[in-house]
This record gives sequence, C-alpha cells and structure tokens, in this order.
Amino acid sequence: MLVAQGPGDREDMVSLGRRTLLAAAALPVLPRRVLAAAAFPAVAERDAVIAFGHIGPISDGGWTATHHAAVLAAKAAFPAAKFLEVESIPVSADATRTFRQFIENGANMVFATSEYGDLLSGVADDAPEVAFLECNGHRTADNESWYYVQHWMVSYVLGVASARMSRSGRLGFVGSFPVAAVYGCANAFLLGARSVAPAATCQVILINSWFDPQAASQAASALIQNGVDMIYTNLDDASVLQVAERAGIKCATWSTDMRRSGSNAYVSSLLLDWSPFVVGQVSRRLAGGWSAGPGTLLPVGHGVDRDRWGRTVPPDVGAMADAVRTRIIGGWNPFAGEIRDASGRIRVARGQSMDDAACDAWSWPVAGLTGLPA
Amino acid sequence: MTWTIQRIPEISGPSRIAAYLTAGGAAVAVAGLILRLLGLHPLELGGVVLRDSLGSRYGIEDLLLLAAPLVTCGLSVAVMLRVGLWNIGADGQFFVGAACAAGVGLYGPAWPVLPMLLLMAAAALAGGAAWIAVPALARLTLGTSEIITTLLLNFVARLGVDYLATGPWRDQRSSVTAQSPRVPVPIPRLPHDWHLGRVHWGVFAVLALAVLLALAFRLTHWGYELRICGANRHAAAYAGMKVRRRLGEAMLLSGAIAGLGGMLELAGTVHRLESGLSNGYGYVGIVIAVLAAASPIGCVVTGLLMALVLSAGTALQADGVPSSAAMALTGLILLFAAVGERLAHYRLAVLRPRASGAAG
Repeated sequence: MLVAQGPGDREDMVSLGRRTLLAAAALPVLPRRVLAAAAFPAVAERDAVIAFGHIGPISDGGWTATHHAAVLAAKAAFPAAKFLEVESIPVSADATRTFRQFIENGANMVFATSEYGDLLSGVADDAPEVAFLECNGHRTADNESWYYVQHWMVSYVLGVASARMSRSGRLGFVGSFPVAAVYGCANAFLLGARSVAPAATCQVILINSWFDPQAASQAASALIQNGVDMIYTNLDDASVLQVAERAGIKCATWSTDMRRSGSNAYVSSLLLDWSPFVVGQVSRRLAGGWSAGPGTLLPVGHGVDRDRWGRTVPPDVGAMADAVRTRIIGGWNPFAGEIRDASGRIRVARGQSMDDAACDAWSWPVAGLTGLPA
Repeated sequence: MTWTIQRIPEISGPSRIAAYLTAGGAAVAVAGLILRLLGLHPLELGGVVLRDSLGSRYGIEDLLLLAAPLVTCGLSVAVMLRVGLWNIGADGQFFVGAACAAGVGLYGPAWPVLPMLLLMAAAALAGGAAWIAVPALARLTLGTSEIITTLLLNFVARLGVDYLATGPWRDQRSSVTAQSPRVPVPIPRLPHDWHLGRVHWGVFAVLALAVLLALAFRLTHWGYELRICGANRHAAAYAGMKVRRRLGEAMLLSGAIAGLGGMLELAGTVHRLESGLSNGYGYVGIVIAVLAAASPIGCVVTGLLMALVLSAGTALQADGVPSSAAMALTGLILLFAAVGERLAHYRLAVLRPRASGAAG
C-alpha cells in the first residue's frame, strides 16, 4: 500500500510526494474545493463496473503493459466486479466515443491511462455520478482527478549512472512529442548526467508517436551515427534498446524491466507500478467515500523507481546513483538553481529550485540539450 | 443447355440494396462463427452492439458525430467518381481544411460565432480546394495520375498539421500529445429538448450538402455534363462539352468538400488541431463512395452504416473482444459488402443450345 492511502487520508493532501506530505501536515489550511466535493456512495462489488482506456496495445511491453498489470491486480482484488478494458485509443474524437461507451456500459469508475484532456473531461462533465481518473492529466472536478509519477526524479538518477556509462559524454534521447512529459524526462536526465560529467550533452530526436517501433529504431540509429553512446528513451516499447544492443552502446528505458531485449546495453529502466494506487482507488470507490480530490503524484519508491542495474553496470556506478536516489527519497530536490536553458538564459536562479508542479510542466530545454524546441 | 455467368453493367437500386443485405448477413454469420471460436457468445454480443449503437442516446449521438466526417469524405470522393477520377487525398484535404479553420479560429478576427464559423468554413473550403489544385493541374495538363498525387499529398498534409501542432501552434499545457490550444469557436449544439445533447448543427450541414449535391447531379445541366464526362470523355468532347473544365471543377469541388469536413470536425467535435483529427476518415470515405456508387444520398446511408460498423468495433472491445479481433471483424464486414456489390453485377443465366453455339 502507498503511504497515506487509507480512507479519508488523501483529502488533506495535495500530492503524495514526501516533501509536500510534510508540508501539508504542517499547514492547517485545507484546500477549500476539496472539502466541498461530496464523497461517492458505495457500490456492491458484484454490481461494480470499472473501465480502463489505454493509449497503446497492452502487449507493448512498456507503458500500457504496466497499466494492464494494474488492471489485473484490481481484478484479482475484486474478482466479482466487472472490468472493461479498451486498448490503443487514439487521441481524437474516437477517445470521446470510447469513454462514453464505458458510461453506456454502466461504468462506476473510468481510468484513462494517458492524458486525453478535454476529450475525457467532456465525458466526465456529462456523467457526474461516475468517477474519472486520468493518468498524467491536469484537470480536477467533483468527479475527476489525475494521477502521475515523479518521473523526473528517477530520470535524474538514471542520468547520474548514464554519465558514468558513456565514454564520450554524448548522450541521446528518443522521445515522442515536444510535450511536458518529454521535456521533464530529457532535462532531468541531462541534469543528472551533468552533476557527474559537467560537459555532457544530450541530443533529442522526437518521433511524433508514443508507440512506433520502426521510427524509434531509425531515431536510435541516427543518434548512434552522430556519436551518441548512451541513449535514454521514454517510448512505450523496447526497440531503441534493441538497436543499442546491436550497436554495442548503452541504453536506459521506461516502464518495465526490458533487459531481455538487450542485456549488454541495458543500464536500467524507470519502472512504473500503478497497482497499489489503482487497487486503492477502486477499493475506495466500492466502499464509498471516494472523492476526486486534488491530483496524486506517486513519489520515488511508491509507483516509480529505477530498475535493478543492468549486468554491465559496474557496482560503484550503481552505488553512486543509488546514493542520489536515497537522498531524493530523503527529501532532497536535485532541481535547484542555477539552471540555464539551452540559450544560456538563467531560468532557475541560485537559491531557488523547481518544485514538482514546475517539473511536471517543463516546457524549455536545459543547457546542453538539443532537439527540443525552446 | 449450359449455365453461364452474365455481367450486368448497371444494377438497380433495389438489387444493390439486396446485395448489401445478403453480404452483410453473410459477414455477420462468419463474424459470429469467429467470435464463437474465440469462446464468446455471438448472439449476446450482437445484442450488446445493437443496444449500444442504436438503442441508447449516447449511441445515436456518437453514430451521428462519427458519420458526419465520414459522409463528408464520402461525398468528396463521390464528386470525383462522377467524372471517373479517384480522390485518394480526401484525408489530406480534410487536414488542410481543419488547419485553415483552426488558423482562422485561433488567430483570426474576434467576430461573433456565426460569422466566425462562416469565415472558418470559407477558409476550409479554400484550403481543401487549394490542396487538390496541384493534382488537378497535373492531371489536366500533364495527365499525371491523380491517384498517386492525391495520395502522396495526404502525408504532406498530415505532417504539416504535425508541424503546426508540435511547433508554432503548440498548446504549452498539454503534456502527452501535441495539439493546438482549444479553438474558441464551437459549432452550436442541437436544441436541448431534442435529447441529442452533443450533436452539433454541422451534422445537418452535411445532410444539406448531400441533398444539394444530389439535386445538382440530377437536375442541372452541369450535373448532366459531369456524368457524361465520367461515362465517356471522348463522347462528351464530341458533344461539345468542356471536358477539362468539368474535370477541374469536380476536382476542386471534391477537395473543398473534404476541407469543409475538416472544419466541421474541428469546430464541432474535437476543437483542437492535432494529428489524430482524422482517423483515416478520408480513406473510409473512398469505401463509402464506392459502396454508394457515387450517389450523394447513398453516401449518407453507407456513411451511417460505416459509422455503425466502426462504433461496433469499440463496443465489442469494451465487451472483451480483443482489439485486433474487433478490427478484423470490421474489415471482414467491409470486404463482404464490397464483394457483394460486385457479385450483384453478375447473374446466372441458362444458355439455349443455339445461343451457346453463337457464344462459341
């Protein structure tokens, strides 16, 4: 179970991050809107319908596979409930149709396991009696909230190890779109690397998709031809790792343990585990007392973490990165100034730091990063 | 006495409909068999699909909303089919129309909604027509196959929209996919007491367009000339018709209609410019127009049927049919429909000895 996930506990918290948790405990003032939101009534398990809409195929071995694992965990925990699951929902009007289909099928609770924005919230507004949770979403309403992970923290840890795994100091990143999730991931990775090797650089290639193994492979090959010898990727599948393995360079991935796809190249992965959160939310919805509340950011060690280090990672490199991980879990914020953007402008002054909200909305590349629009 | 197969060049409406019904029945039977082999209950699932698609308010609303862009693309393809040309590029024209409308909506004048919508529609019509202008010119002056040129421009249009959505028009607040900010000019929805809450007036615009085209094809001299140009260009030229001009007009009109479809989808349903705006609608439009034999009213019917088939895919998935199987079933139904339509052009005939001798 997650920290502070018991019934009634989350109402007085903005986020599950340890630092914010402590901050919230210290502050007596509760967010007013949250108090106003009424709790949902209980649903008998055998009558309950819980729906999940995924952005990719559950067989992607990555992002969607981790969410599918959470669905299986919820099924195991509530065997009498009915679970609906639809894969590969495009971010288009089709998404709206699929979510409405869930409502039509009597869903009491709908999980969108990727951001669908107003394609989802329009449906939520029409179905106030249904609970909506959007992974990596931003909107909260009386029946809608979001959940996500502190991925920038783990990316920073992976960056520390990666700088030591790269001989040239030229790192690469294969991403999808120029969006906050990609900025945060690539920036944190390079900042982690630069904490060890200040001259490290990172070249980003975007492939305009979260799941396109062909394009991902081509992007990885292009980076390797440019002299990159360590690639990090937050795409949904293992194709970049496979290219890295063939080329004899190193690679870190996202979502799941992918070492089977390239055990020599594999440094680590940003592991995702949604099961405790999802089971907890479903449990509260069934028991009654679920309310939307503010968004939930799962902290390092509770939903997001680095994987066991790859077999070619020297023990001292793993230990060094793990020491950084331990400090982060202890409350240290690595995103402290001075941080400059790619044009050299100071974005975070000395003495200031970027909080979770700022990392989650990152929209500019840090110094040394190329390939992401400024 | 021998049996032979005779081809009938033009089949009547009723026999076409009978062909579709037979084909549809056969497809559903095969689909049921496959579902049974997957360990599911086909009759139960069929009931669920019909209930979800037709028996509920949401279902009808979604059907109309999905049918609107499909029918528009179908009409676009149908206009060119009338003159015997293929518009494989409705998807691209759809994207360009949506991009033009989004540009006007986001950065244009701050007029009231109705004039704004008209301006966006005008921009979309112009954009769609402009997008097919190059293939039209190449076709009419150099004889370049419009099938290739319109198809290739789809990729250009989609990548162009990608560029806008990930670059200059990017919404900084979205975190998973690249899209423009919300276009602040929505097409008004139907009156509340019609109980079709999310359906917008654009659906009626599509219907009106279909009726208008049907009337133009049937009643005007222009429509007559289009048909002759499609049937036999040499005969049309011999009869003194301006063939190239008519072909050019049909192509530009076709592009403009697809562009308008993009505007309606953007301002009516999605409200943001993004590369997921068309989920292959332009390609589905080809199927719609072919199944409807290029009849505008037929496009409305086949478009609605196609929307039903596609939304059945979603309904099936929500009921535990794997997405790949749902897609295969959708394809199967379309395949049967297309084959059925072709088969309706043939009939078994008995040849008398004398006739068979003559036939050699």
